[in-house]
Amino acid sequence: MTLTVEGRVLETDPEGYLRRLEDWDEDVARAMARADDIELDENHWEVLQFLKEYYEQYQLAPPVRVLTRAIAKRLGRDKGSSRYLYRLFPDGPAKQACRYAGLPKPTNCI
Amino acid sequence: MATPARKRFLWMSRRAPHGSVQAQEGLDALLMAVAFEQPVSVVFLDDGVYQLKRDQDPARIGRKNFCAGFPSLGIYDVHDIYAERESLALRGLREEDLLMPVRVVDSAALGALMEAHDVVMSF
Amino acid sequence: MVSEGPAQRQSAESAYHFAQAALAKGHEVIRVFFYHDGVHVGARASTPPQDERNIGAQWSALAAEQGLDLVVCVAAAARRGVLDEEAGRRLDQAPAPGSLLPGFRAAGLGQLIESGIDADRLIVF
Repeated sequence: MTLTVEGRVLETDPEGYLRRLEDWDEDVARAMARADDIELDENHWEVLQFLKEYYEQYQLAPPVRVLTRAIAKRLGRDKGSSRYLYRLFPDGPAKQACRYAGLPKPTNCI
Repeated sequence: MATPARKRFLWMSRRAPHGSVQAQEGLDALLMAVAFEQPVSVVFLDDGVYQLKRDQDPARIGRKNFCAGFPSLGIYDVHDIYAERESLALRGLREEDLLMPVRVVDSAALGALMEAHDVVMSF
Repeated sequence: MVSEGPAQRQSAESAYHFAQAALAKGHEVIRVFFYHDGVHVGARASTPPQDERNIGAQWSALAAEQGLDLVVCVAAAARRGVLDEEAGRRLDQAPAPGSLLPGFRAAGLGQLIESGIDADRLIVF
């Protein structure tokens, strides 16, 4: 499968994750979100930024089940709640936000 | 749903980080125990202490630097992280060579550590 | 937990003998989790010569006889080509993907941790 961003054709897996993580830029995130009818605002970007920094620092995505705990520690308790995060990312913060942020597909999900 | 019971897990990580994927998969399993909100301790021994070596650059041999993930354990309240003194000494590693602070324990103390945990995993 | 592959290590065989002995003594084996290269034990495609032991088939037969829960780690299996991406993605719909021997199923690491919590003993082979 492919995703077209500003004239670039990027390869994705069947779930829409980038095949090559180095293809990521902010336009990619915006294009993925638009395909899901989501317009990224500053609250979305704050979470995506958090995920990118976390991945950069630790070379892994936060484990799915404790993602909210990690976000609460960094961004505050009001934002580290499933309710807040699912409002921003209806398909689940781990799956959807990691995809927009250009992280590898979470494997620890089951 | 979530099992209410809690067990004390001890992770014994004994392999060098990049010669096989085993240590990396050990970290994956450890993170799953963390996600299950089980109390987890980790001890690095034998070649496993190499996982704690700071300033690794395994991308040059095509490997991911998964050891950078160990410092994230503190976020999830995993603080009981040990390295065996003898294993460090045999490999010429000092505490200042390590990528994060750990508790250095004597080999003789490992038995008591294993005794103090319900589930001992070896990776 | 079986943590080594069947061709170069004895892990899967030692675990098999241990499980048989434990069952014979009246213990319950609630799950066998195949991790690392251990996932190769569940690969349907492995076909050693007829005069050699096929440990995967033996586990499969023991599972049928004793109702064992044999679980192959989905992430480790996908990494090694024992499961393809499609099978990994459709876990919920396909309990026994075609690339695994009968009696084996693919699931996540949560199954390993859950076994550690539920069992009296978790033994790593």
